[in-house]
Amino acid sequence: MLKNYFKIAFRNLLKNKVYSFINISGLAIGMAATMLIGLWVYDELSYDDYFKDKATIAQVFQHETNNNETDTSPAIPRPLEFALRENHNDNFEHIIMSSWEQSRYLKHGEVNIYTTGNAMQEAAPEMLNLEIIEGVRDGLKEKNALMISESTAKALFGSDVAIGKIVKVNNEHDLVVTSVYKDIPKNNSFSDMEYIMPWKHYITTQPWLERAKNSWGNSSFQCFVQINNNTAMDAVSDKIRDVKKIGDPGEAEFNPEMFLFPMKDWYLRADFENGVQSGGRIENVWLFGVIGLFILILACINFINLSTARSEKRATEVGIRKSIGSQRGQLIFQFLTESFLIVLLSFVFAVGIVILFLNGFNNLASKAIVFPWANPMFWMVSLGFIILTAFLSGSYPALYLSSFNPVAVLKGTFKAGRYSSLPRKVLVVTQFTVSIALIIGTLVVMNQIQFSKDRPVGYDKEGLLQIPVMSSEFVGKHETMRTQFIASGGAVSMTTLSSPTTSVWSNRSGYTWEGKPEGFQEDLAHTSVNYDFVETLGLKLIEGRGFSREFATDSNAVIINKTAASYMGLTNPIGTLIRDSDVGDPNPEPPLKIIGVVEDMIVQSPYSPVKQAMYPFEKYGNIAFYNLRLNPEKSTGENLEIIKGVFKKNFPNTPFDYQFVDQEYGKKFRSEERIASLAKVFTILAIFISCLGLFGLASFVAEQRTKEIGVRKVLGASISQLWLLLSKDFITLVVISLLVASPLAYYVMGQWLQKFSYRTSVGWDVFAVACIGALVITLITVSFQAIKAATANPVKSLRTE
Amino acid sequence: MTNTLLKLSRATREVNSGSKAVKLLEHIDLTVTEGEFISLMGPSGSGKSTLLNCIGMLDSFTGGGYTFLGEPVHRMKEKNRSKLYKEYIGFVFQAYHLIDELTVFENIETPLLYKNVKSSERKALVADMLDRFNIVGKKDLFPIQLSGGQQQLVGIARALISKPKLILADEPTGNLNSKQSEEIMELFSQLNKEGVTIIQATHSENNASYGSRIVNLLDGKIVTE
Repeated sequence: MLKNYFKIAFRNLLKNKVYSFINISGLAIGMAATMLIGLWVYDELSYDDYFKDKATIAQVFQHETNNNETDTSPAIPRPLEFALRENHNDNFEHIIMSSWEQSRYLKHGEVNIYTTGNAMQEAAPEMLNLEIIEGVRDGLKEKNALMISESTAKALFGSDVAIGKIVKVNNEHDLVVTSVYKDIPKNNSFSDMEYIMPWKHYITTQPWLERAKNSWGNSSFQCFVQINNNTAMDAVSDKIRDVKKIGDPGEAEFNPEMFLFPMKDWYLRADFENGVQSGGRIENVWLFGVIGLFILILACINFINLSTARSEKRATEVGIRKSIGSQRGQLIFQFLTESFLIVLLSFVFAVGIVILFLNGFNNLASKAIVFPWANPMFWMVSLGFIILTAFLSGSYPALYLSSFNPVAVLKGTFKAGRYSSLPRKVLVVTQFTVSIALIIGTLVVMNQIQFSKDRPVGYDKEGLLQIPVMSSEFVGKHETMRTQFIASGGAVSMTTLSSPTTSVWSNRSGYTWEGKPEGFQEDLAHTSVNYDFVETLGLKLIEGRGFSREFATDSNAVIINKTAASYMGLTNPIGTLIRDSDVGDPNPEPPLKIIGVVEDMIVQSPYSPVKQAMYPFEKYGNIAFYNLRLNPEKSTGENLEIIKGVFKKNFPNTPFDYQFVDQEYGKKFRSEERIASLAKVFTILAIFISCLGLFGLASFVAEQRTKEIGVRKVLGASISQLWLLLSKDFITLVVISLLVASPLAYYVMGQWLQKFSYRTSVGWDVFAVACIGALVITLITVSFQAIKAATANPVKSLRTE
Repeated sequence: MTNTLLKLSRATREVNSGSKAVKLLEHIDLTVTEGEFISLMGPSGSGKSTLLNCIGMLDSFTGGGYTFLGEPVHRMKEKNRSKLYKEYIGFVFQAYHLIDELTVFENIETPLLYKNVKSSERKALVADMLDRFNIVGKKDLFPIQLSGGQQQLVGIARALISKPKLILADEPTGNLNSKQSEEIMELFSQLNKEGVTIIQATHSENNASYGSRIVNLLDGKIVTE
């Protein structure tokens, strides 16, 4: 029986090649898209799965409230560790203090590499379940130990034994390699942690780290924990909430609350809005999950529409089968078998498509997904997916076709009723509604990105180079370097910053100034800068002046941005003194005098308002970057060669690392751009699948109406009239889709834009583009068939009767 | 062989056409005994096909009684009815109605599939039938490759494959030329002699003469027998 069904199905496929092609290719493309999205979603959801104890690992975060605005941050103070160990130790399997991930120079012999890593406490390899391939597991026991990743080992020692080798870190400290761990795979936290140095060593490297030991106010560290198996994350989180308030009642005015942020949320749910967890990447996972499902549904709709459109052809078969003994159930089963066969074939093609395009998709989504050949789960899900798709696309045609009355069909009096094409029309409208909504959505995302890119950044980011110099060998060299760089002709000016040009590493509070409102809790972005700050970055001075070598007092001068001036309530900022508010300090910092106000410079998110910022003149060697304005007379390549030459002359053993500021700034758009490019691809696919279906339908309508067209032609209808006649119906459907999709998309995209405070609006132009686009695409799709039918010789079509 | 095969008493079929009820068949009384060869005659629209379809259980009477082999069909559920006619009734159509996508062999085999006959047995039965109708050489051809007469032969073979007691033939020769018609009618009378009951609807006096009994219909009523 089944064999018979398959045979019929197969012969039907071969007989109607166009129909089969549309059906199978449409479904295959739809399934491939859904599969890619499925793999992507799975990849996103399996972030951090490398860690065996994902469920019990957490990071300690803190909420702090300034002026009724709650900030949530992973930065915690050092005394937290002692408080946790002393009072809450029984809740934790591990408590691990950690530095921020930071780039350092690692040098062995002639090899010197610049790579990122952390300083962590002893139990880190245990908690992260690192796979040790050489050396010991507790490799952080000794103060001068160093654990390195496999790739770091390869870079430093080639194929030599790594254990016991001495590595010079930042040209300063000698550490001994104790173990080599397998690289943590991408798609996991810590995946670019190329080395781990002992916390004990780290805290001795700079005096402020030691001083921070007792300072609850200095939140400059991270703390990772693993809770005990017999406790719950929420319960422990509640217990440690007030640790900081208890530790230092003086901090209570900011209402600091500590909590555990579980590892399973790190990647997907990392957004906080005024102290409340508010989603994150998980929204994109949902978004693309829904898009994937929609694309599959679009492909299924093609199948449904084409099968029911062909119903008159299949009707006779149904009638005969019923008259020779088939029951309806058997017919339903037969048609479902057919759809199963088609879906199965499509699946095979879909797998092919996925394998073919996985690389490109990985590039687009910046992923490293591999096809899960060996994963039984994948095949199980796929089977379920096939069955689901077969049912989704096969049940309506099966029910519809099997319902025919055999007497009517066999007598030839069967005519699909007046309303029999209504469900088909509804489905076409559904398809185009989804496609048009996707077009509008994608356009809005692209508009928003462009809008933010066009936003004035407040400085000249082209031709600006930054060189990271966070190593002891650079200390105190910046003046001579500046002289050499400028003399070389590769740069026209240079300054230094304590943060990257496109980020802020430090925020400060605890100041007073004249006219400061009572109880005002200030929070200022703090970046130490140098001479020629204004000139090098190309900032616009609104008031006052930049730092100048002519004023000896400028070492205690500060420049603020426009927002800071109004934030601090300064009507006449120049000359205002900003003082340290800690009056009890026996050795107070000298007050900072405001000498200039500059135009706001976008440093953080290009979608948010610029934060109030202060740029004090650096005097403590707080230099993280040399910032160079390249010589506009020369090409970038030439400038770079010259600058590299100067650098190498001064630091022959240090790798020359640099970043172009405009590129760094561009990275801020990456995640949105990634969404946009994915959305673009899937929108195009959705449109393509919908058009494929429309093409199929148009060809059936043209076929059905051959006789009518013949008669009309004989009666004198012109080709263009016939073309209009045949296209009109479809255009109507697309217009209805436009009317449905537009308000829907307007609302949804309006909501999406809400998350950006610097945002474009959903303009009429977007709808115009979508509208014209959809109509043009429909016309092209439908016209091919319409014109073919209209130009056919009427004698031929009438003779067949 | 005088068992009653089926019996209609005051069987009526009424349909609604617009707001009016139209009687397609009215108070038909008919008893068919096993082994009969009945010809239904009458002008177009007199109800011949409707009567055949109703007897064949593709359609149903809307009034009156219908017993088949002593079982009251008019009170049966769809499923039992389908079982009954699968077992005992074979159809032959004017337009042959073979399934285009199936070969001759597969077309004949299909009713057996619906009766869940085992594969080996099916092959044997179909082979016998092909043999008997002298179409062994055509078994792998598709309907479109056959002449009308040959297609109808396949249609009859398909109707016979499940060994029905009753064959219902609606204008079986309507699409055939006179020579082919003659062959088909000869075949029918041969089958009838072997014990198969046949009811055919026909316009042709000549065809009707092969039968043992003629029933004349006019406007849904039996006028003469």
